Amino acid sequence: MLKKRELWKNRSYYMMILPAIIVFFLFSYLPMPGIIIAFKDYNFMDGIFGSPFIGLENFKFFFMSEYAWRTTFNTLWINANNIFWGTFIAVMFAIMLNEMRNMHLKKLYQNLMFIPYFLSVIILSRIVGMIFNNEIGIANRLIEFLGGDPISWTTEAKHWVKIIVGTNIWKGVGYGVIIYLSTIVGIDKGIYESSYLDGANRLQMIRYITLPLLVPVIIILTLLSIGRIFFGDFQTIYAIVGNNGALLETTDIIETYVFRAVKNSAEFSMAGAVGMYQSVVGFIVILGSNTLVKLYNKDYSLF
Amino acid sequence: MQDRKFDHISERILDVSVYIVLTLFCLSTVLPFILILIVSVSDEASIINNGYSFFPSRFSLEAYKLIFSDSLVLRAYLVTTIVTVTGTTLSVLLCGMAGYGISLKKVKYRGNIALYFYLPMIFSAGLVPWYLVVTKTLHLKDNIFALILPYLVSPFHIFLFRNYFKTIPDSLRESAEIDGGTPFQIFIRIILPLAKPILATVLLFTALGYWNDWMLALWLIDDKDLYPLQYMLYRIMSLILFKKSGGGMSVGDTGTVPMQSVQVATLFVTIGPIILLYPFVQKYFVKGIMMGAIKE
Repeated sequence: MLKKRELWKNRSYYMMILPAIIVFFLFSYLPMPGIIIAFKDYNFMDGIFGSPFIGLENFKFFFMSEYAWRTTFNTLWINANNIFWGTFIAVMFAIMLNEMRNMHLKKLYQNLMFIPYFLSVIILSRIVGMIFNNEIGIANRLIEFLGGDPISWTTEAKHWVKIIVGTNIWKGVGYGVIIYLSTIVGIDKGIYESSYLDGANRLQMIRYITLPLLVPVIIILTLLSIGRIFFGDFQTIYAIVGNNGALLETTDIIETYVFRAVKNSAEFSMAGAVGMYQSVVGFIVILGSNTLVKLYNKDYSLF
Repeated sequence: MQDRKFDHISERILDVSVYIVLTLFCLSTVLPFILILIVSVSDEASIINNGYSFFPSRFSLEAYKLIFSDSLVLRAYLVTTIVTVTGTTLSVLLCGMAGYGISLKKVKYRGNIALYFYLPMIFSAGLVPWYLVVTKTLHLKDNIFALILPYLVSPFHIFLFRNYFKTIPDSLRESAEIDGGTPFQIFIRIILPLAKPILATVLLFTALGYWNDWMLALWLIDDKDLYPLQYMLYRIMSLILFKKSGGGMSVGDTGTVPMQSVQVATLFVTIGPIILLYPFVQKYFVKGIMMGAIKE
């Protein structure tokens, strides 16, 4: 077990680490045994450990309902879009920013791009609300101005995946651009110069130099993001959609389902089963993607 | 590379499209603020009749009068400020000490401890056990500590600290030890002053996290007097929080729905400080992201 001599010798240091260990234990390790709630029929009186054991009933109930498929699909679909488009636009913007020759404008634009990252999701979601409000929103007013018919945004689920992904991109682009731009800046200028001497124009330089050299970073970041694909972006989605039942069909992800089950219906055991399903599958996905990262470049793997 | 002549038409197209696309996007990050500001000083009737607009038919400061006559916004600011200041200070302290402790070669169990902090990042029991533990076992419901404690320890920040402290030569610490001084004193007097960059970064990330958080309130707070800023904003704009016709704000179904201009004015008042501080702090964030990304 723990060697007393080592603990005593470095006791000051272990004491410095201890507060973090304790607090972390309370919020991250203490809940772990509670995962057993997935197999129980929880009631408040008996607590988690006193409630009756019902085996896989909760899981059966969830997987036989339409929600299992819907939430899983939505989680994966929205996340996949986030990853794909987010990366695509961040890389594109980083390259574009790099092509700007006016240094002041470049700095200004980079700073402006980063602003949405600072804003809380609530603020972002309210901006979205101001745009897509049925009666007074900017979008409908623009559409009417151009002669079209207003769209009933808040009752049509089909639009909202795009809106949610768009909001995510708007918020996250600044962050991605910083990472990709710093990679681009790290590329040896000599390569560009010698290609210029060989007659390359800037588009060709981007295609044959910048992009290929960005690929390693892109792959790693993408793989790591895919690792977390089973864990949705609760905050953005719930802030935007809230309890609007009409939109749930395309926007209800696993976390929002769990949230409603707990806060609105107090269905702890079912929600617990869903949460466990997510944790287990999510863990497997992380393992899988991490293995892929390791195969590609050992230094960047998570463990 | 600066004096190049662009004789290729594709390069011209490239330049133009770069400027157009990027300008459009940057406009999109700026326009919302302008819109919010304008709508917040728009007359309510013109909003209802014509919708949100950059050019309202009439202006009015009614919304702001109403906001500042009510204590809700001010109270939310107070709560958020207390939570952010306390939380950030404690968190940076805890994570900094932990990061330092596991950065030293002489601390034999640092690997195990690092693993301890790392594991929950890839496997957690889920929200339900978390919620039950926090509310039932730890009694953190409707309580200001509920807004502070859960975020105190961030493994990511601990690792950021550790990686930074690792770059400080062991010899420095050793000679300080010879001169006499407990490890803690050495940490405070010698190591920390050398760690200003990482301290600034973690401080700002943590502060932003606390300031913008609304999840903790969503799950754990029902008491109106403990609403942090973003959560209050959420409830006002979700029309869960109603405005009493006289002046005060109340929860529930009595009273009238807050005016559009009031909602948007609240939105503006919430964004205010962040945008004001942004120019000053953004370079630390950029540095921090680049630091974190290297180890991504």
